[in-house]
Amino acid sequence: MFEKLDAYLEEISHFLSGRTEREEILSEIKSHILEKAEQEFGEVTPEALVKVISTYGPARRVAEKYLEGRAIIAPAYRRYLFRYTALLASLHTLLAVMAVVFKKTFVIFPVVFMPQLGVADLLMYLPAAYLADLGFVSLILFFLTQSGKEIRLPWPKLSVDIDEVKPRRGLAGDIIGFVLMAALSIAALIVFFRHGTIFFVNLDFIRAKPLLTPAAGQWFSLALIGLWLTETVRLLVRFFVRSPWVDVVRGFVSLLFVAMMVSRPVSNIFAVPLPEWLAPHIRLSVTITLFIIAFFTALDFIKSLVIALRKRLAAKAAPSRS
Amino acid sequence: MDPEISNFETEMNRGFLQILVLALLEKKTYGYAMVRNIEQLGYEVEENTLYPMLRRLEKSGWVRSQWEVGEERPRKFYSITEAGRSLRAELLGIWKKQDRILSQLIKEKRHV
Repeated sequence: MFEKLDAYLEEISHFLSGRTEREEILSEIKSHILEKAEQEFGEVTPEALVKVISTYGPARRVAEKYLEGRAIIAPAYRRYLFRYTALLASLHTLLAVMAVVFKKTFVIFPVVFMPQLGVADLLMYLPAAYLADLGFVSLILFFLTQSGKEIRLPWPKLSVDIDEVKPRRGLAGDIIGFVLMAALSIAALIVFFRHGTIFFVNLDFIRAKPLLTPAAGQWFSLALIGLWLTETVRLLVRFFVRSPWVDVVRGFVSLLFVAMMVSRPVSNIFAVPLPEWLAPHIRLSVTITLFIIAFFTALDFIKSLVIALRKRLAAKAAPSRS
Repeated sequence: MDPEISNFETEMNRGFLQILVLALLEKKTYGYAMVRNIEQLGYEVEENTLYPMLRRLEKSGWVRSQWEVGEERPRKFYSITEAGRSLRAELLGIWKKQDRILSQLIKEKRHV
């Protein structure tokens, strides 16, 4: 006779946490429903129980009333959920690109295992990696919320905040930006076609002395010119198309050029002789600089992607509300 | 009722129901009886709102509860504590102040 009631209580039970508390809550609800059925329908019958249960409310809603004020992740941490996930996703992207470019496996025990990947593997690996990053950050924020402690989460001011609202430049600013980038790119191309590199020791363009070996000079010059041209094209496209996906595409293409720079070993790239004691330091500095550039390029790409996806979701939600 | 207004009503009811429950629990009673009592006073209360509220009041020490298994089925009886009486007195003071302010606004025909 009580199958409906038992099924209803079982459903409420699914949404409640804490075993002792759960049993007591269910006992109280059961007692109330049986009493109400008897008082209002004369006796406890399956039909009376169904009617009383229907007025008591849907199981999930009943359970939620007992859980009010107990957030899984504190609302104030919502911004950090996206920030930290974006940061981890950027690191993941960078390591994945390196795994493809260098054809090596990277291990930072116990937090990172990046197997050697092919390009197709990369496309399949990254979405799963991003989901894992989101899960890891969510777990940390969950434990912080449940601790109940007032914890100030760190976030340095690196101008990479997804929620940062930058004042929009006017059309004049956009035009100036485009003209400068275009001029820089064209000048670099002219110098490159004339000398095969844009890295020089001196500024005498008639008797120019290259800083890097021909192969290295060509490689890094093409990568840097590629970055500048990408930005120039982005600025041009933005005069006609104001979509956040323009930034996403720019970010991705930039990442490819940066990967191109990072993939080349920095030993024996200089055409000028370096003092023996200085050479290792210079190489280390160049390596670190390249990886910093790569990291921030990856972070910028992830930031653009998150902003574009959020705008898309917001646009989809807006028509359904109206 | 308009869902927006319904949300506001829910918020207003939350505070009022807490005072009402603390007043009714001067006499030991159980959940279903309290619901019937409140309905007889002319106020509608959802059972799935009342029981969680009683649980929160108990956790904070304003009310106490005890299962009694003497009758046909077990019932959980609630009663107010001394701390609950102090709280009730304070909440009633706040409610009277709010009522006085609104009454004055209505009297002066300002904004209402």
